[in-house]
Amino acid sequence: MFYEEKDAGGYVALVPEGKFNLVSAPPLKARIDDLVREGKARIVVDLSAVDFIDSSGLGALIGGLKAARQQGGDLRIAAAGDQVKAVLKLTNLDRILSPYATVEEARHGW
Amino acid sequence: MPLEPSSGRLEAEALAKAPAERYDRVVRLAQAIFGAPIAALNLVGTESQYTVASVGYPTGSIPVEESVCRVTVGQDEILEVRDLREDPRFASIPAVAGPPRVRFYAGVPVHGQSGQAIGTLCIFDLVPRELGRTQREMLGDLGAVLERELAVQEEMALAGQVQRLMLPSEPPDLPGIEVAGRVQPAREAGGDFYDWLVIDDRYGDRQLQVVLGDVMGKGLPASLIASEVRAVLRGHSRYYDIGGAVRSTSQTTRHDLEANGRFSTLWAGRVDPASGRLSYVDAGHGLAIIAGPRGPRRLIQEYLPLGTFIEDTWMQASDTLAEDELLVIVSDGVFDVLGDDYDVALTKLPAILDPGLSCAEIVDIVVDYAVSHDATDDVTAVVARRTGEDRS
Repeated sequence: MFYEEKDAGGYVALVPEGKFNLVSAPPLKARIDDLVREGKARIVVDLSAVDFIDSSGLGALIGGLKAARQQGGDLRIAAAGDQVKAVLKLTNLDRILSPYATVEEARHGW
Repeated sequence: MPLEPSSGRLEAEALAKAPAERYDRVVRLAQAIFGAPIAALNLVGTESQYTVASVGYPTGSIPVEESVCRVTVGQDEILEVRDLREDPRFASIPAVAGPPRVRFYAGVPVHGQSGQAIGTLCIFDLVPRELGRTQREMLGDLGAVLERELAVQEEMALAGQVQRLMLPSEPPDLPGIEVAGRVQPAREAGGDFYDWLVIDDRYGDRQLQVVLGDVMGKGLPASLIASEVRAVLRGHSRYYDIGGAVRSTSQTTRHDLEANGRFSTLWAGRVDPASGRLSYVDAGHGLAIIAGPRGPRRLIQEYLPLGTFIEDTWMQASDTLAEDELLVIVSDGVFDVLGDDYDVALTKLPAILDPGLSCAEIVDIVVDYAVSHDATDDVTAVVARRTGEDRS
């Protein structure tokens, strides 16, 4: 899986594609950790191109959220598809990782 | 004549059943390096030889009497035969006397964890030939590479066995309730687990505790964490109600889960066989239901899984399991094949609601369905029902 990265100044958008799982989640999580270390702790993960997420993908998002919050930032997710929303809801993780409809909405206030 | 059973033969038999993709690369390399039409990893069991990875020859098994590699394994050093027709041990075996009419053979024994030779990396040619000294050394080197792959595979298989042996193996010593569970890991080991145990509470009541957990990720790393969550929950369960046990488990495992960046969903409940009283906690698992003739109801709560950086309250909820109802808990490996859709899952319920089915049969129906629909994740199901035998 590839992901695009867009530094919009006030926040960084990461755009993973395809399956967000055991194979593809670790590189994205590593990138989030690097961004947070560089002081870019406001991150939007744009999930519009992700068609499947598994528990490892969720773990990367939760881990990224924790890292960002510890540095006074946040990680928000945008444009999640049905499967992603279903899994977030099933695990109740939508309570701490609430999906925004668009990147524009997610970045609100940044 | 079958070979003497020994630890080497038994290891070969066990490995012959394990996934073999990890050997393909080395076998292909051997075929290319020696320019031979056939290269294979053959495991030599007591009665059969198993070709588990090969180029130019089908995988499968032949009777051990028809094998060349049994001799290589027996002498435990490289065997090279310029022309198999000229060797009375091999001249009449089917692959020499008939198609593919192999002539040349070279094989290096590969060893298992017992230290005994369990099979060979071998090459065959259709014309007589000889290996040079460097080529023999190279065959030895490739055999050593393959041995390491076999060791990894065996280690994984043993870890999986350890995990399986930690599952409950006996029905609970508690009249009035029937329970069954099964886990089918996507790899040798995995992050799914189930458990049950009998809890004697302070009032002298006996309840069955049933647990299904799913640690994120797959394979050995997830299984290590799963073992911890299982053991810690067991430990705390003796002293707390189910809510307290889950909260204590979260506190105890928090460091290890967070340090590894992993979370675990958990559904844990306790059923009183006499009254059907059920108390439970759903820590982000979301996949437990009571199913019966009056329709299904989900046993879900709003709580987070264990191991996120937020400590939740995990207060227990209650319900009642009637005698004509089933308690069914599955892992998301089952849910995935149903398109992660609860409504689709409900359409599958009638198939398991036949009162004539035992809990073990129902578990098999659920797990086999998921596995046959190409589940990519670990697949687990636990089913319990009251049997009405406990009227004391």
